[in-house]
Amino acid sequence: MSEIVETAGREELILNMGPHHPSTHGVLRFVLHTDGEIMRLARPDIGYLHRGLEKLAEGQSYPGYLPFCDRVNYLEGIFCEQAYAMAVERLLKIEVPPRAEALRTITAELNRIANHHICLGCISMDIGAYTPFVYLLRERERINDLMEALCGNRLTYHYLRLGGVAHDADDAWLKNALAFVDKFERVIPEFESLIGKNEILVRRLAGVASICGADAVAYGLVGPNLRASGVDWDLRRDAPYSFYPRLSFEVPVGKGERGTVGDCYDRFLVRVEEMRQSCRLVRQAIEKLPAGDIRAKVPRVLKIPAGETYACVEGARGELGVYLVSDGSDKPYRLKWRTGSFAAMSIIETVSRGLMIADLVALIASLDVIAPETDR
Amino acid sequence: MSAAREYFAAIRRAVFSLADGLSVTVSYLLRRPVTIQYPDRTAQPVQRLLPERSRGLLEVDVERCTACGLCAKTCPIDCIVVETGKDAAGARLHTRMDVDLGRCMFCGLCVEACPTGAIRHSREFEGGMARVENLLVRFLDAPRPPAKPPKKGEEPPEKPAGSIIRSRLPGAFAPARRCAGGPDAKPGGAA
Repeated sequence: MSEIVETAGREELILNMGPHHPSTHGVLRFVLHTDGEIMRLARPDIGYLHRGLEKLAEGQSYPGYLPFCDRVNYLEGIFCEQAYAMAVERLLKIEVPPRAEALRTITAELNRIANHHICLGCISMDIGAYTPFVYLLRERERINDLMEALCGNRLTYHYLRLGGVAHDADDAWLKNALAFVDKFERVIPEFESLIGKNEILVRRLAGVASICGADAVAYGLVGPNLRASGVDWDLRRDAPYSFYPRLSFEVPVGKGERGTVGDCYDRFLVRVEEMRQSCRLVRQAIEKLPAGDIRAKVPRVLKIPAGETYACVEGARGELGVYLVSDGSDKPYRLKWRTGSFAAMSIIETVSRGLMIADLVALIASLDVIAPETDR
Repeated sequence: MSAAREYFAAIRRAVFSLADGLSVTVSYLLRRPVTIQYPDRTAQPVQRLLPERSRGLLEVDVERCTACGLCAKTCPIDCIVVETGKDAAGARLHTRMDVDLGRCMFCGLCVEACPTGAIRHSREFEGGMARVENLLVRFLDAPRPPAKPPKKGEEPPEKPAGSIIRSRLPGAFAPARRCAGGPDAKPGGAA
């Protein structure tokens, strides 16, 4: 389990954290070199949840791979499906009906809120506050119910289809979704007074494990982690796709509210603000929901012209991309996932030098890394 | 001096923010609990509370099945087996209709592909078994001539959702459920 190594007159203890540890998200192992409470090095050891999702694509038909996309990251299934569907649609050169695009946006933003629930809940739970996690799970349950009524499943949605979506949303569902958003916007201030402004949480997160903007870009951080470091970059605004060009929203950026820019507390705050913006997006998309078809005509046996493409969406953890190569047959020739967690995992080794062990837990939680997405 | 002031200011902030947080918790003490005690304290069996589209265990109505095999072809993980043969007179016979629910990932592609609506999702989900082999469900007891594709308006009546899978998965739904709404009266009534 542990051993003591002597380097340059200093004693270091090598300690294994994980692969099963309550504060590692998923099956994930860290090798810690510690000097007392101070960490000299924390090396992530990934691969425990490797399921070969990229290789599996090569044996599946194009529509048959869609349900696998949910499993790339079970907390942001809609985004994974959307990235893959966009890649295939780009190669096929088919236009997705506007109503389908709007429904994709609504479900994606609901999915983002659900994902941030888990992330914020895990941050508070990992540093010792259990109650907020349960409160957030209660809210997330409403999203799960909404998604189950629309898609048929609570987590592995399989809602998108190539060229559109599977089911249309009726008025009752849209009303329920609006009611959820209205209620949820009132729950956010409650969450903030419950934990977000709590001095103990602030002290555990503010000024801890800051990542400067240049480092964040160099390591390829994306999404909320990148924006918390002060880099204003959001694919929904800067490389618009789907229904987003028609919606207005703000992109929250870390400002170093209580400590330095890019610390754990900034990453926490950016996600809280993103939930507010997602509520705005859902409301606008429902108001502007166009009438019409929900699926473009796609042949039953799909043969895709040879070529290659990259399609990416702004997932809950940032840029989520699919690189797809087709050789003209009915199966992908090669498929590559680009996920935010993998980049976030790679920066842990650099940032964790000199941190306390307890702060490493806060760092992992605030980066929102998730093992299945890292390992694929 | 300023260090001491900062120290006490931090304590003050901590006390006030804690009181703020606790006021939220206390307000919930006075409300009705959100948690529902699953499974035996729900007002109705959970299956009935699920939305229409909920994708539960698969079931096949062999009387509607034309044995075209589209479901088996669409299934991404090959958990459906459809086989046909010939009888003594040379007519087509449906000989096998197996679904391995232990491998099924509930994506619903087979249901979308089925032209006659023979395969569908029930809203049953409590398929817990002591042995995973028991989740291989054989929907066909003996070879039978496959159904003819029905003419419009002449579709055979649909069996109640969940009744087929309940009769095919003995043991899975066995424990009797006490629901607040009275004795359990699920359709197909294996429980």
